Amino acid sequence: MSLVEKAVKRVLDLGASESEAYLQSEKILWIEFDEKIECFKVIESGGIGLRAALDKKIAMYSTSVTDDNSVNEAAEKVVKIAKIAPEDPEWRNFNMNFGKSSAEGYYDKSIENIEYGEVVEKVKLALEKVKEYNAKPVRGLLTISITKTIIANCYSEEFERIETLVSAVVRAKIEDGQYKSIGSEHLETRFWSRMDLEDIASNAAKNAIKFLKAKPIESCRIPVIIRNDVFASILSTILSGPITADWVQKGRSPLSGKLETRIACDKFTLIDNGILYGGIRTRPFDDEGHPTQKTYVIKEGVLEKYLYDTYTSIKDRVKSTGNALRGGYWQHPQVAPSNLILEQGDSSPEEMIKETQMGLLVEDVIGDSGYLILLVEMLMQQ
Amino acid sequence: MASIKGEFLELESDLHSILDKAESYGVSYADIRYQEYYYESILVENKVLKNYSSRKFSGVGIRVIIEGAMGYASTCNIAPENLLKTLDNAINVAKALGKREKKTLDFEVNRAEVRSKFKVDPINVSPEEKTAIALDANKAAFIGDKIKNALTRLGFSKDNRLFMSTNGAKVRVETIMSGLWHESVAKSIMAMERVGYSESKCSGFEFISSNDWNNFSLELSKLAIEASEAGTSSAGTYPVVVDPEVIGLLLHEAFGHASEGDLVSTRESVLFGKVGEKVASDTVTIVDDNVENGYFYPYDDEGTEKKKVVVVEDGILKGYLHDTYSASKLDSKPTGNGRAQDFENIPIVRQTNYFMLPKDYSFEELIEDIDYGIYVGGKGATGGQVDVGMGTFTFSVGPSKVIRNGKLAEMVRGVVISGLILDTLKTVDAVGKDLSIRTNVFGGCGKMGQTVRVGFGGPHVRVQKMIVGGR
Repeated sequence: MSLVEKAVKRVLDLGASESEAYLQSEKILWIEFDEKIECFKVIESGGIGLRAALDKKIAMYSTSVTDDNSVNEAAEKVVKIAKIAPEDPEWRNFNMNFGKSSAEGYYDKSIENIEYGEVVEKVKLALEKVKEYNAKPVRGLLTISITKTIIANCYSEEFERIETLVSAVVRAKIEDGQYKSIGSEHLETRFWSRMDLEDIASNAAKNAIKFLKAKPIESCRIPVIIRNDVFASILSTILSGPITADWVQKGRSPLSGKLETRIACDKFTLIDNGILYGGIRTRPFDDEGHPTQKTYVIKEGVLEKYLYDTYTSIKDRVKSTGNALRGGYWQHPQVAPSNLILEQGDSSPEEMIKETQMGLLVEDVIGDSGYLILLVEMLMQQ
Repeated sequence: MASIKGEFLELESDLHSILDKAESYGVSYADIRYQEYYYESILVENKVLKNYSSRKFSGVGIRVIIEGAMGYASTCNIAPENLLKTLDNAINVAKALGKREKKTLDFEVNRAEVRSKFKVDPINVSPEEKTAIALDANKAAFIGDKIKNALTRLGFSKDNRLFMSTNGAKVRVETIMSGLWHESVAKSIMAMERVGYSESKCSGFEFISSNDWNNFSLELSKLAIEASEAGTSSAGTYPVVVDPEVIGLLLHEAFGHASEGDLVSTRESVLFGKVGEKVASDTVTIVDDNVENGYFYPYDDEGTEKKKVVVVEDGILKGYLHDTYSASKLDSKPTGNGRAQDFENIPIVRQTNYFMLPKDYSFEELIEDIDYGIYVGGKGATGGQVDVGMGTFTFSVGPSKVIRNGKLAEMVRGVVISGLILDTLKTVDAVGKDLSIRTNVFGGCGKMGQTVRVGFGGPHVRVQKMIVGGR
């Protein structure tokens, strides 16, 4: 019997009516750099999170120590906490619909064999690239991770997935007399071969050059065209919470009660695609073991569906959309988007600019809090 | 500071062996950090217990320097054979970097064992007792139909850190924290308004059991209702009086980060090359220090004793915050600001308790000469963003009040303050005599993927010109 299955059984043996175990192990290569590599570290991490339900009393306990004794101790603690916890009257059950979707492109085997020297070389070439633009690399980070997740509960045997993620950000500074500016670029991908760090470095330097002599403008009402990745970031910030059933059921979402009503223009179709090939949150099953899927959230401006995990779906008497996500093995699953995609329309950026007599092209933003306070870095188009 | 008796004796012996092994591999320096961290979080939402989670997190991080290159590796598995494998990982990444110019790193060699003050270890208090406090506080928030949602969270942490190095340093610090966070959401015809706030302390469970949390959540509900019925401020540049929470946030984010030695050494900071220059008005003195009400921080994660750093004195920039590495780069001394989120991370330059020193104005004196301005409130602030290179900041603050003819007048919601920090600090023309420093068990400050607990605050401060935006 595996560690996860033993943990599920142990929690039940101790008197819980339901149990769930979520085991995660991770290896991360982490490389920080400015003009040269400042830090290279190897992190081997992981742990197990146990959830117990005793009728409607729920508790969670996690530990980073995953030997048999520590897991037994964790099982005892989680049951002990559940026994005294007050009831959640809305509790029904853990996920009873384990399964895998057709998701692909979330694991790159080549990452398991990466040599440290190869990583160092890739970073060095990127740093050289920044200097070609007479810019200075001021900060950068490359991370390469392999994460193995095993989940089981009292209704299902264990499911396992292995994911890889490569992530990079480069910041470059340029100075010209009294002018100075910092540009940045970033990329997240599941595949090592798609991590073109030199290209990211070039773009960071080009962005720094682009903003070098930017001038402030007075406040005004003006048409804006927002770069796709910038708009994606804004959308994610303002919609990630409100489109979840969790926010809706708690009365926190401005989209409560608006299903099947028009909330955006008809060019606006928003999809949560948990099975997008190579998406950075693409997985065959979510963090409760439920299969992932593609969900139309807003279709041609009409709000079609909220996102669900098991808990919220039972409450609304619908099926889960496979959107349970944990920030780590020590956290409860919460409803969150997987890959949130705004469907493309029929205008090119060039056409949009051509049609705008006087407006702003938003190239970057700093700070996109829930209130959408944006300091906009932009190019004036006249 | 109470001292603690040596525990982890068996572990210490294993860690010593690893350091000996590292020396036998030819490292010029190695350190090893063991951490054992407990965190407990109890969340009540709308009178129902939603989450009771408890976490134990422990492991070891090893740093080595070979031929001037630094390698680091960490593991949660502290079996002796796995520690050796982790040492190999650290050495191999250092070797992959190749030979580097050797820097003289000024590591202090301290030997100490200290813990923050506490009476009752919160991890040992029964779950029933803790849950009851959170449930009661949550129920007390429902003071009428306008309260649509209420969240209450109790949080406790116990952080045990042991630092040892090939230089012979051995420093152990244990910090216990307790706190309660509450958020009320109120809806009126005008708007929906969330107001969240927390109180935390480096203290045991006695901090929770000796406070009236029902009144705490009730007052936040009142504030949320009042804010939801308030108008918005009109955008413009006004004199403002900033409360201690907001001045703390502003200094920490917009000035504190810019004074961190690593960002200065890479010239990312707006404060690069400005030591000795005027960066604020004469009345402004800013320090980073280990203080009673802030975060307990006697030694950093490189074993350096935390010193009081005067960053700005009477408006003049005096120096920066340093870890050993940034100190070496800028030819300075480490200031005890090398901090790591946990054993999986390398220490980087971080603030500890960063605040403006009080002067001599009462609150009434600060507002009495203002014909029209804003008293900027911190309760319910939702944060903001800064650019340390440009010195720009934007913060969404909590419900605030208009100052009219020297008196506090109506409330306004949705207030945003922004500007250039150096310009803003130069227009500080009066500093209050009060001083409030806070810390937070529910979160901290993020930088380069690491979150650490900090303390921040200050006195009430009057700024002659601040850009205030409304919704």
